[in-house]
Amino acid sequence: MALRILSSPPPEPEVIAERLREAIEAALSGARASVTPRGAGHFELEVVSEVFAGLSRVKQQQLVYGAIAPLLRGDDAPVHAIDRMVTRTP
Amino acid sequence: MSNLPADLNERIEGLIGSDRVVLFMKGHRQGPQCGFSAQVVQILDRLVPDYTTVDVLSDASLRDAIKVYSSWPTIPQLYVGGEFVGGCDIVKELMATGEIFETLGLPAPSQNPPKIQVSDAAAAELRRLAGNAAGRDLHLTIDARLQPGLYFGPAEDGDVRATVNGITLSLDPLSASRADGASIDVRSGSEGPAFHVEVPGAPQVRQLGVKELKAMLDAGEPLVLVDVRTPEEWSRARIPGARLIDEALRAELERMSRDPALVFHCHHGGRSQRAAEHFLALGFRNVANLAGGIDAWSQEVDASVPRY
Repeated sequence: MALRILSSPPPEPEVIAERLREAIEAALSGARASVTPRGAGHFELEVVSEVFAGLSRVKQQQLVYGAIAPLLRGDDAPVHAIDRMVTRTP
Repeated sequence: MSNLPADLNERIEGLIGSDRVVLFMKGHRQGPQCGFSAQVVQILDRLVPDYTTVDVLSDASLRDAIKVYSSWPTIPQLYVGGEFVGGCDIVKELMATGEIFETLGLPAPSQNPPKIQVSDAAAAELRRLAGNAAGRDLHLTIDARLQPGLYFGPAEDGDVRATVNGITLSLDPLSASRADGASIDVRSGSEGPAFHVEVPGAPQVRQLGVKELKAMLDAGEPLVLVDVRTPEEWSRARIPGARLIDEALRAELERMSRDPALVFHCHHGGRSQRAAEHFLALGFRNVANLAGGIDAWSQEVDASVPRY
């Protein structure tokens, strides 16, 4: 009988969403992130943190993108795009 | 702020510092390779005469590095004065709200009618054309490089109107802010009379004498001498050092930096004047037309170049 090698199945969107949430909350102190999967590799983010205070919307988004950059990098990245990002202070 | 190797970091900082407005994009300004990059180019073209684009498709390491450097996952990316502005969505939003003018350090567009002059001859000709224009507005546009356009078309929201010499001109607010002091006249050219719009401060095609060109060539001054005649004329006579225009040369010129001096010539100077104006409109700042063309060259500089 031939041995079949199974590649590991791609992670579930919920698993990736959890990794996004953890990456954001680890990088931005006191941040609360909610992540909603929207189709293969696409996500929406809502992030609440005090570090956003006084920053432009672009700077706020740069902080979040910086935190999740490892998940967006490369051709087989688990995250293809953030369709929508809301950032605000508590 | 970035976790890039020092050499890449330095390279990106060099690119960002190379111009006041720098756009990292897919493709280049004259040939965007992606819709988002094209949209930002279109907006910048309307607003600023000169800016630098960096093609990330030509360099995979740069494409990844700029994403890390900017903490931004997508291309295009716009930098102004060394500061990251945003990607396509943000630039479009800034344009829609009008904040883009402040971002780029530009005066806000004008709602006041500009002071424009229309000569009697131009007014008469425009009135005649308006008869066939079926109630459409006469639009005057002046782009970021101060190059004018004149056409009949439907009225647009936000247009500013100026009435001069019985002629009503419609200008979009950006054009209106550049139009003060402009004048419209009719001038005769080699192909008959044509409208001529003079815009204050607009770069002009310089008329270069053949002896002056000879001196520049002898001195080894950096310039591109472009012959815009037909291949048949080229085979009869040519100026040493000139390059005959063809599709390949045209594409090469359109893609290169806007700094080098361009000198255009033809037989007598008419065709080359139009070619020179075309390249002026593309943003070249140092553009000259050889007055008298190759015929003057034969008579005044080098008799061994046959006349025809």
